[in-house]
Amino acid sequence: MIDFSQPTPVILSEVRQLTPTRRELVLNMGPQHPSTHGVLRVRLTLEGETVIACDPVIGYLHRGVEKLGESHRYAQFVPWTDRTDYVAAPSNNLGYVLAVEKLCGLQAPERAQYWRMIMAELARLASHLVWLGTHALDIGALSVSLYTFRDRELILDIFEKFCGARLTTNMMEIGGFSREIPPDLPEMVREFCRYFPKAIRQYEDLLTENPIWLARTKGVGIIEPEVAINYGLTGACLRGSGVNYDVRKAMPYLLYDRVEFDVPLGTHGDVYDRYLVRIEEMRQSIRIIEQCLEQVPTDGPLMAYESQYVIPPHKNVMTTAEDMQRHFIWVIKGFSPPKGEVYHAVEHSKGELGYYIVSDGSPIPYRLRIRSPDFVNLQSLPYMAQGAMLADIVALIGTIDIVLGSVDR
Amino acid sequence: MGEHQSVPTPTVTSPWDLTGYWGPTDPEQHPAVRLVHERFPDAFREATVFRDEMTIHVDRRALRDVVAFLRTHPELRYNHLTDITAVDMLYLRERPRFDIVVQLYSIPRRQRLRVKCSVDDGETVPSLVPIFAGATWLERECYDMFGVVFEGHPDLRRILLPENWEEGHPLRKDYPLRGYRDYVQPGFDSPAPRIRGTLRRPGP
Repeated sequence: MIDFSQPTPVILSEVRQLTPTRRELVLNMGPQHPSTHGVLRVRLTLEGETVIACDPVIGYLHRGVEKLGESHRYAQFVPWTDRTDYVAAPSNNLGYVLAVEKLCGLQAPERAQYWRMIMAELARLASHLVWLGTHALDIGALSVSLYTFRDRELILDIFEKFCGARLTTNMMEIGGFSREIPPDLPEMVREFCRYFPKAIRQYEDLLTENPIWLARTKGVGIIEPEVAINYGLTGACLRGSGVNYDVRKAMPYLLYDRVEFDVPLGTHGDVYDRYLVRIEEMRQSIRIIEQCLEQVPTDGPLMAYESQYVIPPHKNVMTTAEDMQRHFIWVIKGFSPPKGEVYHAVEHSKGELGYYIVSDGSPIPYRLRIRSPDFVNLQSLPYMAQGAMLADIVALIGTIDIVLGSVDR
Repeated sequence: MGEHQSVPTPTVTSPWDLTGYWGPTDPEQHPAVRLVHERFPDAFREATVFRDEMTIHVDRRALRDVVAFLRTHPELRYNHLTDITAVDMLYLRERPRFDIVVQLYSIPRRQRLRVKCSVDDGETVPSLVPIFAGATWLERECYDMFGVVFEGHPDLRRILLPENWEEGHPLRKDYPLRGYRDYVQPGFDSPAPRIRGTLRRPGP
């Protein structure tokens, strides 16, 4: 039993004498360490400054999101997905609504799918900017974070224009978008796309050929391709090792098969390659957004209202009794998808984000499983840390790109 | 989950039925189903399809052998372990209690597959750690949340909850949403009131 009135005893470090000349030090890092990106705690076993064992201790941010998902109706769970990975909330919304849409067998209209792609790519950029700023900050390049957070504001402004929220956007709904696109939003996104490549060049000027950055990242944390596959890594951690697996290319969802983009791959699988892969991914995201803006129809439905699984239109709720009743009953009772089980994965900024939903035919998911990419990717930390120097641990934690809300769920 | 087969096929063809990312939707033509059935005739239970997703049900004792076979067979090569999780089937059937769900993906063939086995409370499942290193944390989470024991796991302990958690396994269906015990938050005299004691699950 946990006694909240007593402070929890935490052993900070202990020293073990192995032989008269060798000593082993167990060092506790986190959960309040600023470079652990949240509340990750790592138990390090050191010999001198060399790490000989590393045990990540997670769960400090565990809120039981899966249990909550199994007690909410399908549409009620969308805001919870924002809170799992809060730096790329639209991508989480997207993974969940696509899984529910697959379960119900409905598809959003074409225009909504294009806007979903634009918002998911913007979320990838926002997430990569947070990653780049904090990763560089951990290693010692302070100024990069000022630039990345400056540019992230522009993306958050777009989110705010689109849905009114900046961080926990709750942007996507089952069946599409229920709000109309603001008329000046496409121009806002276009302007961002014109500006952002210059910003990427600025980050690269600061880091890519910086001797300190090279010394801290090249040859550190190498993951071989076979090991990366064996650990089940996805995202830039896998592609940095040269394995070509991007869900957007391998199993295109939405309309990713209609846009052209390249999947950058690393060659050495070290921290530096993963950095280059993510930088190139940002450029490719801009390419995708530009093509989407060209292809997206300017008018047309945004919500698949003809389906019984989609919330009725808000339009006449305040004026006609039938619409209000329909809306009220849908919100109170929810909808009952067919019995079955689906798994749907999207390419999140951190890797493959999958939602596995088991439906028993009731309006509440029987089982809702979130396969979060950084939970699986974090498993490779002990492998990378073995034999590394103590100072490299912050680089290794940064390169996995974890958000503890998503790891602990 | 055999009852999924009795669901009538939807009259409107769903766009999701045709994606083809899980291979042929006919179990007879699916190479993984055919080869697993040939190689493990005793352990093979059934193959079910929902939307386009193929699920193979096997006996729990053969789970590790089946997954190793799926990984190494040159025609299949399911070399990426996507996910391991469990489903508490308490409200859906009498016994056995849990379904262990293994999601596999083949990077060279771009195809997914789901392998399932049923396990009762108190029985063990062979661990997949000897085949996939990535199974370590996924199985630990599964043990933490459901209490399913994976036989042969090198380090099976709780992962998300504290190691001294005594209240059981929270994702079981009989575990209340707010836990079994009332906690008094620091600074309060009494626990927060319970608004709804148990979850009302509307019947199907």
